[in-house]
Amino acid sequence: MKQSLPARLVLYASVILTCAILVFPIYWLVITALSQPDQLRQLPPKFWPDEPRWGVFAKILAERPIFLWLGNSALAALGAVSISMVVSVLAGYSLSRFRVRGGESLGLFILTAKMLPATLLVIPLFGIFRMTGLIGSMWSIILAHATLIIPFTTWMLKGYFDTIPRELEQAAMVDGCSPLGALFRVILPVSAPGLAATALYGFVLSWSDYAYARTFLTNVQDNWTANLGITTMKGEYISNWSDISAASILVALPILAVYLFLERYLVGGLTAGSDK
Amino acid sequence: MAAIVIDRVRKSYGALTVLKDFSLDIADGEFVVLVGPSGCGKSTMLKILAGLEAASAGTIRIGGRDVTDLAPGDRDIAMVFQNYALYPHLTVASNMGFGLKMRGTPADEIARRVGEAARILDVEHLLERRPRQLSGGQRQRVALGRAIVREPQAFLMDEPLSNLDAKLRVHMRAEIGALHQRLGVTTIYVTHDQIEAMTMANRIVIIKDGEIQQIADPETMFERPANQFVAGFIGSPGMNFLTARAEQGVAQLFGTSVPVPPGADGAITVGLRPEHIEAGDGPVTFVARPNLVESLGSEKYIYFAAPEDNRPPGFLTRSEEDRRGDRLIARLINSGPIRIGEPVTLSFDPARLHVFDPASGRAIR
Ligand SMILES: Nc1ncnc2c1ncn2[C@@H]1O[C@H](COP(=O)(O)OP(=O)(O)O)[C@@H](O)[C@H]1O
Ligand SMILES: [Mg+2]
Repeated sequence: MKQSLPARLVLYASVILTCAILVFPIYWLVITALSQPDQLRQLPPKFWPDEPRWGVFAKILAERPIFLWLGNSALAALGAVSISMVVSVLAGYSLSRFRVRGGESLGLFILTAKMLPATLLVIPLFGIFRMTGLIGSMWSIILAHATLIIPFTTWMLKGYFDTIPRELEQAAMVDGCSPLGALFRVILPVSAPGLAATALYGFVLSWSDYAYARTFLTNVQDNWTANLGITTMKGEYISNWSDISAASILVALPILAVYLFLERYLVGGLTAGSDK
Repeated sequence: MAAIVIDRVRKSYGALTVLKDFSLDIADGEFVVLVGPSGCGKSTMLKILAGLEAASAGTIRIGGRDVTDLAPGDRDIAMVFQNYALYPHLTVASNMGFGLKMRGTPADEIARRVGEAARILDVEHLLERRPRQLSGGQRQRVALGRAIVREPQAFLMDEPLSNLDAKLRVHMRAEIGALHQRLGVTTIYVTHDQIEAMTMANRIVIIKDGEIQQIADPETMFERPANQFVAGFIGSPGMNFLTARAEQGVAQLFGTSVPVPPGADGAITVGLRPEHIEAGDGPVTFVARPNLVESLGSEKYIYFAAPEDNRPPGFLTRSEEDRRGDRLIARLINSGPIRIGEPVTLSFDPARLHVFDPASGRAIR
């Protein structure tokens, strides 16, 4: 479709504006990290510090166990995502393909579980983990995050499986696969983009959690996740926002890395060509 | 290769009965086409044969073996789907070899058979490509290749040509026919296209609302339809239907007395194929005023209104608009020039008439 010049200008202007709004907080995070703490509240604000404090990152890494925190966050996220993917692949596939008795209401139940605020589950989960002696352990955070992630990923994957023609697994079964074999040999490889997107989403959910980590892990310093660790950098009277911003940047980087790693799977189009 | 017996198969989805007492014997090596309007249960029957759906009642035997309760993979049949259902993540060669691999066939044997099938289907140069890099016709060939590599007892094909453009469809029609000649594998082919059925089948099974209407070879299907549905379904353009009254073996048609079978009495529906109407005088001659003429070069389709006394069945119950469109069709070959509104002399041989009971639709002979 060919657009007129003014229409295109409006389009590009709005794209640029949207991007600017989205990127500005990140830019400001960087500025804050690189500025001297006493220059932060200057008026008019400076849009690039006179002497960027590049050393702040090394300083943070020396002062705080950032790598330990990141490692814990990664362990929590990988554990929670692994459990979630196993459960939600099977659940999403069943919901997509089989008419289960009460399947509609089961779907609705999962949907409402999605709408419950995470904080509502904190207290019962706390009770369960204390009874089972898991409180403070990495298992508590992994399982708690899985309860958070599974409803979302199940629905995302059900939606993705719905787009895959049934004939694909029917062909596999005629070719000699069992139903489960058809799932693993045909449906899952074809679903790689959907699986990658879903896993990334679960990873971000886990990575960005604060409430669960704060509730279950506070007393065990060695198991602190990155988000929990950063908040302890906030003092009671004075907070060094430059240091906190620098730490936040370091914590955001792994998400970027995961995204770049999964990006090639995220680009869809793999199912193109199976039919028509 | 094997004979297939479908014995009183029924299928219901809840209260909806999709197949009613479906029985069919298919000889070894036969090419049988199931044809009928969309939603009549053709695909359901094929899926029951493949084991992808369970029958509510009845049995299926393939090569003398009762397979009613066997999994699809244990029935030794291959299926070609309407949308091809190629595995998008595998190469053409892996697609074709998938079924053999699942059965534990040695790799060199798989390579040999895939190579041979690829040669037969002329897709050797595509073996390393993925399905998305193929054209529609190429995907169709690969889907056929995946079926023949398996060397199964039977091929099941569900509207395999309906996603192709008209020209390619005609080409592949011939090619599937040649493939059947060459391999001699029992084939059950589903389509809603009566031309496909007529050109490809050894035997046609016409289905309506989950019930078999008639089982016959193409010629019999055309010459001796068992009922009005079959008569109207087979042939293009479709058969003309008229109403008449039969008394003592005679009915008035186009103002002429024509003989009808002795079993016909009272109100009857008379069928006359467009190709059985000719230009000029004949045993029964009448004058028509064409309200539309379509010239296809070698032949012409003449549209004209039925005489008052022989209005088509249901004429009066139709809407005003519908009634005005009510047209009989004659298909004329080598006629002189014909113009809209100008009288033209047409004729037919009453031996060509089909007579049906208007209530049941059954043919009266
Ligand atoms: N899984 C199903 N649940 C309910 N109804 C179905 C199902 N599959 C098919 N049907 C119905 O069965 C009838 C026959 O379907 P089908 O065999 O696909 O027809 P076709 O002759 O067009 O291939 C249709 O009315 C369809 O709506
Ligand atoms: Mg169908």
